[in-house]
Amino acid sequence: MITMPSQADLAARNKALDLIKSSMKSLVEQINEGEKPVLVIPKRTLSNTIYDLRRKMLLLGPEVQHRSFTDVNEAKKFMQTLLMASIIFDALRNNEYPTIRDLYYRGKHSISYRTVDGKRINENTWEEQRESDSVIRDLEVFLSVLREDLLILSKEKGKVVGNLVIRSGDDTIDLSKMGHGAYAIEPTPDLIEFVDVDAEYILVVEKDAVFQQLHRYGFWRKYKAILVTSAGQPDRATRRFVRRLSDEYKLPVYILADSDPYGFYIYSVFKAGSITLSYESERLATPSAKFIGVMMTDIFGDSVFRKIVKDKDSRKILEEITPGVSELKPKSPYLDESERSNFIIKAKTKDLERAVELVGYKVAEVCIEDKEVKNKVKKKEGLTGYPWFSTPEWTREICIFFNTLSKLEIEAMASKGLKFLADKYIPEKLSVGDWID
Amino acid sequence: MSELREVYRAVSPAEFFYKYREIAGFANPVRAVYQTIRELVENALDATDVHGIPPDVKITVRKADETQDFYQITVEDNGIGIPPNIVPNAFGKVLFSSKYVLRQSRGMYGLGVKMVVLYAQLTTGRPVEIITSKSGYKRIYYFKLRIDVNKNEPVVIEAGSWRKTRDWHGTIVSVTIEGDWNRAKSRVLEYLYRTAVVLPYANIVMVTPENEIVYYPRIVNIMPKPPVETKPHPQGTDLEFMNSLVKNTDFKTIEELLVKSFQSIGDVTAKQILQTAGIDPNKKPSELSDNELLSLINAMKTYDKYKPPSSRALSPLGEEIIKAGLKRAFNPEYVDAVSRRPGAYSGHPFIVEVGIAYGGNTPIGEDKPVVLRYANKIPLLYDEATDVISEVVKEDINWENYMISFPAPLLILVHICSTKIPFKGVGKESIADIPEIRREIKLGIMEVTRGLKQFLSKKIREEEAKRKAEAVAKYIPEVAKSLAVILADESNLNALRKEIISKLTTIVARKTGVSFDLLHGIVKSIEAEA
Ligand SMILES: Nc1ncnc2c1ncn2[C@@H]1O[C@H](COP(=O)(O)OP(=O)(O)OP(=O)(O)O)[C@@H](O)[C@H]1O
Ligand SMILES: [Mg+2]
Repeated sequence: MITMPSQADLAARNKALDLIKSSMKSLVEQINEGEKPVLVIPKRTLSNTIYDLRRKMLLLGPEVQHRSFTDVNEAKKFMQTLLMASIIFDALRNNEYPTIRDLYYRGKHSISYRTVDGKRINENTWEEQRESDSVIRDLEVFLSVLREDLLILSKEKGKVVGNLVIRSGDDTIDLSKMGHGAYAIEPTPDLIEFVDVDAEYILVVEKDAVFQQLHRYGFWRKYKAILVTSAGQPDRATRRFVRRLSDEYKLPVYILADSDPYGFYIYSVFKAGSITLSYESERLATPSAKFIGVMMTDIFGDSVFRKIVKDKDSRKILEEITPGVSELKPKSPYLDESERSNFIIKAKTKDLERAVELVGYKVAEVCIEDKEVKNKVKKKEGLTGYPWFSTPEWTREICIFFNTLSKLEIEAMASKGLKFLADKYIPEKLSVGDWID
Repeated sequence: MSELREVYRAVSPAEFFYKYREIAGFANPVRAVYQTIRELVENALDATDVHGIPPDVKITVRKADETQDFYQITVEDNGIGIPPNIVPNAFGKVLFSSKYVLRQSRGMYGLGVKMVVLYAQLTTGRPVEIITSKSGYKRIYYFKLRIDVNKNEPVVIEAGSWRKTRDWHGTIVSVTIEGDWNRAKSRVLEYLYRTAVVLPYANIVMVTPENEIVYYPRIVNIMPKPPVETKPHPQGTDLEFMNSLVKNTDFKTIEELLVKSFQSIGDVTAKQILQTAGIDPNKKPSELSDNELLSLINAMKTYDKYKPPSSRALSPLGEEIIKAGLKRAFNPEYVDAVSRRPGAYSGHPFIVEVGIAYGGNTPIGEDKPVVLRYANKIPLLYDEATDVISEVVKEDINWENYMISFPAPLLILVHICSTKIPFKGVGKESIADIPEIRREIKLGIMEVTRGLKQFLSKKIREEEAKRKAEAVAKYIPEVAKSLAVILADESNLNALRKEIISKLTTIVARKTGVSFDLLHGIVKSIEAEA
């Protein structure tokens, strides 16, 4: 059965086709003038990733690379980039929706040539998907579009429910009528049209299980929320979806993630973008997103931290890193001693290292008590942390983590009682504004 | 205890060499075949190129007996021929030669052909046959002779002559010896082949007993300049030579004798030498006492203001001839040759020539270059390890400095010419280590190898450029197709693709400095597969 692409789909295709065509035209013009063809592509390197303090997101810096066809070291990449452009172009024109895996297979073939000394050699256009994926990313930054704009599909991972009506394809879908299920966020969220929204905020839950529990509990209906889950590391579609919804309806976004450095990082990906894909931040990041929990202070309160800053030297160092850290509002825990001992998991070296990456080595040095543990992170001594974690609140959170060497999953909060999570923990924190921005 | 009685007697040179033939290269039936051909061919070549005649030499080897390993070996040349009154001694008296003069030639001892005749006598008992005539003679002369070993005298068995119908000049020598042709064959062929390398101006033909014809035709019209007979240089003299000089001279005074008999001695020099020796310049040469003769030689040798020995007596091959020979033999990628300036050792002039061949059909040297050694245009095949040329190649040159890593298709040809080649033995197979010569060999090899180094580094640069261009060119069709897919409709897709291919090829050719055709070849090889 042949399905007609929707209007939105067709429009997106034509736009993408024109974009590719015009960018390649300039290449052919270079060739026609007898010049070597050169692709000027923004650099996707860590050194060219900058944190824009004003816009609060990770962006691609100004550095570009000149991928010249006649440069021996660049020729193959140049060919791969153009090959990929032509396959994507072809797919767009034929109303297809390739995945990156499809594109890998479509472009993979062998070039058989005779060398200058007469040997016949077969060389593949690319060997591994890593290579074709890499040129897809190059094309994204070269054309400054997201792959979704080129109608390239990826696995659906994110889900959403709530008082929200959308148009996807030529269908209208009411996301409040999904039963026990949820709407899987399509890989091309820009083709979604928001028809009607009745909600006060967006709650993004890292864990799919907790999302399902809150959904069945009727949380979103009761508290006027759009409930989203990224089911772990957020994919691009989920991030783009959240960003659009928040932008277009001025809805605040709250992130509920595990209380460990990975959870904190997932939050920061929603908020500021990821380091490896910083070129997407502009379209994917939601700088206003807030971390609602689970906080270390929700588990331990702030007594641990207060003890640390009682020490003059420690206070001085921490104040130097994030001024005001010793004068934060006091906090009492949501868990009592016995709950803590039931729910807490011991942090691993990996977690510690990750935490040092977030806030820098000095915080670890001050807050870790155990000498042996301190030695374990010694190799990360030079790190100063990410700018977007450089706030008094995060310093306190992660200092407590270093001190207690504990982490906690959101599921633990649900174990204390779904009622507790849905009716007390989340609403109370929202109403008193107990989040980190 | 009884004492053995000593018996004393003299032997003739013929008898001596008859007994000790291995010193002259006739050690066994294999060497004998090879040595016979060599002696005859070298005499033939001396009769031609030394006199400015482009050599035509024909060698025929024929089985001469049904049951025994007898072979008749005949060598014919277009040389100057031999006067009939000389023929018996030239072929039948050991140590009789026309080459005891100061002029570069292959022969030097007056022994070669007589060894052949003696060996024939010893093994088959058959006499040597000679047919010869000189240019301008009206008749052709014919001889059949053997050697009286005890008397060292020729015994003419048959002699005759007939009228010449055309102006033929040259010599045909024919002997029958017992030998092991089958095992000698590869040696003989190697000898001829190596001879042909330095004689591209000669026609050399050989017919084997199997009726195979080996032919090296003349490929150049130039000849080495013929050597000119010169007077000896005073530094090269010795007591024996001086003795015979003073005994047999017609000159009135010793001063006149010195000036007229030696190069580099004028009136002033002669007076100085005689003063040092304490001899009256007007003394009659035959009246010099033994002591005076000794001090004269001493004075001649220690005097140090002579001009160096003249090289007019030498006949180097020349760079063009060496290059032509190497080209024909190996069709090399790179070939060059150098004739070094004349040098001298102990009063004897010499010239070192070096040729180099690389790539093509040049044989592979495993850990050093393949070496072709020549002395006065004779190829040296045996005793390579003890030869000074081999030593220089092995010890004095650091091949890595010349961008050569072995195994490599590299060959070095060294030709030493001199009025006195310092051979290590009568077999004329290996050259002694004379410092002056060793130095020239080294410098010559270095000179030609420097050129090779430049060639190789240029070649490496070009290969590098080619490889780089190839690394780009192989993607041209894919890039062109991708662009065409994006920018053309179905109808003109192929036209646009071809246009982009051709333009990209031009661009890459210009950028890399590699020819359009080469890159086009790569592109087409891809198209053909697709
Ligand atoms: N083919 C020939 N044409 C002209 N003359 C010849 C020929 N063969 C021999 N002769 C003459 O015979 C002489 C003796 O030759 P023979 O080979 O015995 O000695 P050689 O060549 O002088 O010295 P060597 O012992 O080094 O060979 C030569 O010097 C030469 O004058
Ligand atoms: Mg001879």
